[in-house]
Amino acid sequence: MRTARLGRWVLALLMTTLALATVYPLLFTANAAMKTRREYILDRFSATTTLRGDNIANAWNSAGMAGYFVNSLIVVGGAVILLLLFGSMAGFALSHLKFRGSRTLFLGCLAGLFIPFQVIMVPLVRTMTAVGLIDTYPGLVVAYVAQFLPFTIYLMTSYYSAIPKDIVDAARLDGNSFYGVYRRIMLPIGLPALLSVGVLDALFCWNDVLIALLMMPSAEHRTLMVGVTALRGQYSSDIPTFASGVIIAAVPVLAVYLVFQRRIADAVTAGSTKG
Amino acid sequence: MTPRRAADDRRPLGDRLAAYVLIAPAAVVLVVFRLWPLLLGVDFSFTGDGDQDGTPVGFGNYSELLHDPYFRIALRNVGWLVVLLPVAVAIPGLLATFIFLKVPGHRLYRSVYFFPAVLSPVIVGSIFNLLLSYDGPLNKLLAAVGMAPVDWLGDSKTALFTVVGVHIWATFGMALVVFLAGFATLDPSLLDAARSDGASLVQLIRHVIVPGLSRTIQFVFVTTMIGLLTSMFGLLYVMTSGGPGGSTTLPEYYVWIQQGQMNRPALASAASTVLFLIMLVVGLGQIAILRRSGRED
Repeated sequence: MRTARLGRWVLALLMTTLALATVYPLLFTANAAMKTRREYILDRFSATTTLRGDNIANAWNSAGMAGYFVNSLIVVGGAVILLLLFGSMAGFALSHLKFRGSRTLFLGCLAGLFIPFQVIMVPLVRTMTAVGLIDTYPGLVVAYVAQFLPFTIYLMTSYYSAIPKDIVDAARLDGNSFYGVYRRIMLPIGLPALLSVGVLDALFCWNDVLIALLMMPSAEHRTLMVGVTALRGQYSSDIPTFASGVIIAAVPVLAVYLVFQRRIADAVTAGSTKG
Repeated sequence: MTPRRAADDRRPLGDRLAAYVLIAPAAVVLVVFRLWPLLLGVDFSFTGDGDQDGTPVGFGNYSELLHDPYFRIALRNVGWLVVLLPVAVAIPGLLATFIFLKVPGHRLYRSVYFFPAVLSPVIVGSIFNLLLSYDGPLNKLLAAVGMAPVDWLGDSKTALFTVVGVHIWATFGMALVVFLAGFATLDPSLLDAARSDGASLVQLIRHVIVPGLSRTIQFVFVTTMIGLLTSMFGLLYVMTSGGPGGSTTLPEYYVWIQQGQMNRPALASAASTVLFLIMLVVGLGQIAILRRSGRED
């Protein structure tokens, strides 16, 4: 009994060490962002004594993070709105309006999950160039919608499948068309799922770098993550400013995580337990 | 099936159209920007680059791939990913087991471990560039225990393992949460029985947890493999650019180099098609698992 209890505390020690190793890298970076260049070169490890905003301001203004931030907001906002709209419409149709080919379409969506972006990126760049969408906001938005729609449809379809048919039938008897049912019943009922999926889609789009690099290559169109990669070359000798840029890019994501922790974890596991 | 079809046809035309109208936007986006490019890409991989743009070259691009040392490194590295896969699955699996067995502090670990999973690979890579620099914190830690410093990203022998290690650091929380969801479906009476029989931790894992969670474990294997094959671009782009000496090149990075830097889109398409075939094998494995577990239910 005693050895078992000892073993539990050894494990707890191990897991606490690991938890520290999980948190430390971000703390180190935040700490570096507070130092002056001189302080960082002399001693990068000691905890900062002052909470200094200079580097953050420098990264935000001179390094252009403010503009990249706005670019990311525009693109992610546009993509998430379209994903939720198209995803919930398709999810409703696939779960409640059985029609010829609906099963095939749903399986097609599942198959879409297995087409990684790297496989379609070369022809996609060609197509986008041909229709004049390359290096435009709508082009990147469409690329994100195409990338994350299969996942969105899959989760919305599973959510709506759990809603009894009677609710749809009752609303139909009240004289609603199917569009009315979608707007007045399915959208409000679906809000919890839309929120979870929306948060996850927003994280995917916000964090992406490959699609943004290919679809919006010019410097003034950089999203925040592409901006961070550019920062590295620009400020290789000014680590505190570089670290500040990284922190600026990480803070919105960490805030979203703190607020929506449970939802994110639930949405991640939804696919695994339904199988 | 037949009665439903009949009911279907009795519905007014507008009602029958509704389903198609609701699904149309999604279908158009997926066909135009996902399925069509996939077909286009495969077709494109059999044509030439540069002067030969649009001319059929048969399997020319594929034979060039096989002779390109960088692509061979990329394939060899896929082999390494397969070798490292069990490690990437075992770490979250073990940690989830400890949390499930209510190690002191178990409530806290879940949310702490998960948080790197929401960070972009770009942010993770940038942070680790600082930590893994030659005079950085990790080497300082090694020095404190009397070990020689390691050139984590600059040595072609260690760079791939370093990047994969960082990838595991960033994503193990995701798999951990999936494992914990699986544990929630485990029959608690089995565990209690095993415990009152005095089973050790290893016996518990071997005889109760692994058989009980076979479906979750398989799911994590597949999703982790997909992650290793398709989610490493950001890390590679920020941390190594595929180097040193091409040693961290993976197929997805090779496609990017040929498309974005070398202006060889047709060759890139051929590499994409090879990556797609690798993914197809993984995906078919997934479907086979789902089929089997579907029968078990």
